[in-house]
Amino acid sequence: MRRAVAAGLVAALLILPWVGTGEYPLALLYSTFMYAAVAVAWNVIGGFAGYLSFGHAAFFGLGGYTTGFFLVRAGLSPFLTAPLGAAVAAVFAALAGYPCLRLRGPYFAVVTMILGLAVRAVVLNLPWTGAAEGLWMTLPPWEPLVARRAFYYAMLAVALVTALAGRAVRLGKMGVGLEAIREDEEAAQSIGVPVVRLKMSALILSAGLTGLVGGIYAYDRSYIHPDFMFDLHLSVLAVLMALLGGRQSWAGPILGAVVVRLVDELLTVRVGTEAARIIFGLGLALVIVLLPEGLLPHLERLRRRAPRPPAAVPAAEARP
Amino acid sequence: MAQLLQALATGLLTGTVYALLGAGFSLIWGVAHVINIVHPALAVGAAYAVYLLAAHGVDPLASLAVVVPLFFLVGVGFHEGVIRPAARRGGDLVLVSMVLTFGLAAALENVLAAVWGPGPRVVNVAYTGRAVQLGGLALPITHLAGAGLAAVTIAALYLFLHRTFPGKAVRAVWQNPEGAALCAINLRQVTSLTYGLAIASAGVAGVALALIYSFSPASHLMWLVFVFLVVIVGGVGSLVGAVVAGMLVGALTNLSTLVIPFAWAPFLLFASLGILLLLRPTGLFRR
Repeated sequence: MRRAVAAGLVAALLILPWVGTGEYPLALLYSTFMYAAVAVAWNVIGGFAGYLSFGHAAFFGLGGYTTGFFLVRAGLSPFLTAPLGAAVAAVFAALAGYPCLRLRGPYFAVVTMILGLAVRAVVLNLPWTGAAEGLWMTLPPWEPLVARRAFYYAMLAVALVTALAGRAVRLGKMGVGLEAIREDEEAAQSIGVPVVRLKMSALILSAGLTGLVGGIYAYDRSYIHPDFMFDLHLSVLAVLMALLGGRQSWAGPILGAVVVRLVDELLTVRVGTEAARIIFGLGLALVIVLLPEGLLPHLERLRRRAPRPPAAVPAAEARP
Repeated sequence: MAQLLQALATGLLTGTVYALLGAGFSLIWGVAHVINIVHPALAVGAAYAVYLLAAHGVDPLASLAVVVPLFFLVGVGFHEGVIRPAARRGGDLVLVSMVLTFGLAAALENVLAAVWGPGPRVVNVAYTGRAVQLGGLALPITHLAGAGLAAVTIAALYLFLHRTFPGKAVRAVWQNPEGAALCAINLRQVTSLTYGLAIASAGVAGVALALIYSFSPASHLMWLVFVFLVVIVGGVGSLVGAVVAGMLVGALTNLSTLVIPFAWAPFLLFASLGILLLLRPTGLFRR
């Protein structure tokens, strides 16, 4: 049943660009896919393992800058640069992650935030990244609507890949291990959970997926600058979306991303960017206090309480 | 050599301000087990208050008369209105407080950006750019004033914590909350008082930093790096540790600009923080 709904939803999303949809709804969905992917990726380390990262903007920006760099300096195809961005973000996570993941709680959270600042500062100071002037890429040679469709599909693909990866982690052995780490790391270690390997894999996966998203976003914007590629606001949003939806499940962050994205769109149109950011900062504070488990567990409880549909035909009779 | 001494001297002066900022953060961490990420952002808020008042001809030092009581009340209100209700709902307070204050810091940053724009601001007063000559050293008056403010505030905090009854109660709660409660110490009052004092000290630090540096809504992130370094080097909840660590961090930052370009100076901080944490994953002074 669930599988059929999911398949139907994906099919609808796939044909949507061909049923006379304009650029605006496609752009809106594109950014929803983007945030959903970032939130699901964040959740692998931040939710499943409980290692609260405030620095995912660093992975996003690294992915974006890798794309920018290879497009401009080497003329590589974006089909190559985005996966390269994922690889760079993953390698960076592997290098920086080892010392960071030795830290717990507040130390890890603050250090990841600082890591984001540090990467941003490096990019601002290196000449070959365009430094403070930013970096211009050549636009794809397409009509606006064609370009919108192309990026829509690219981001949809990334979001699907990320969601499937998140699901595989959560339902697989790794998810059990990460949950054990979140509940009690020493106890997990003592019963033979490979704590370090699991944490590292979760962070690397999370960073790689975030970098992939950053790569596509960069090519779509065609101009990148540290101010928005390494924006703290992205880290705030990632945390907010995962917490709002529910960080115990793989699908929670998707729900959170959809809600946040719609509210974000309304707010940005109605009250402007800064006011929207103020509201999201406060929203994060409210969510952690009022809805620490996120929306998803509440929705599932509602669904279970709702009257069941009329009993289906008993299985034996349904058989031909 | 003269250059070296000069850098060292100004570094030590600014270091005392980092010490003050770190001391308040550390106090809340130690007493209430709350990681107050909004702490440096509140200091930036104080810097903007100074900027606003200076535009109306009020001297930054005089603006303390507004900032200190206001920030004390903000601290008490923050505890009573935000942290207590959050703590009552249960859950891991360290984690909840971090996400909560992270959100508040992001909100405050954007409030400041909405009012004053994202660009840097400078407070100019009559004595900006003037210096006291001491031997071969030129000590900027703004640095001296900032360091003086910080030193007086830290000394006052120290005397309060070690010489007065409410101060001793604060320390008692930090060391053993249950024991303190058994001695008829009102935990809620003591914690509120701690927040009031810590946030008021963040206000003073903001005033001092406004004298010394330019600031922008996003500067709280950089200040958080300093604060974190101070707390890790100095130890959570230790005022003396914060002073030593602050001066060390200030001196190191300033000396580094002699060797590497100014824009890269934050790296020395990031790198030293990284190395520190690698060596001591839970901070230098484990309790």
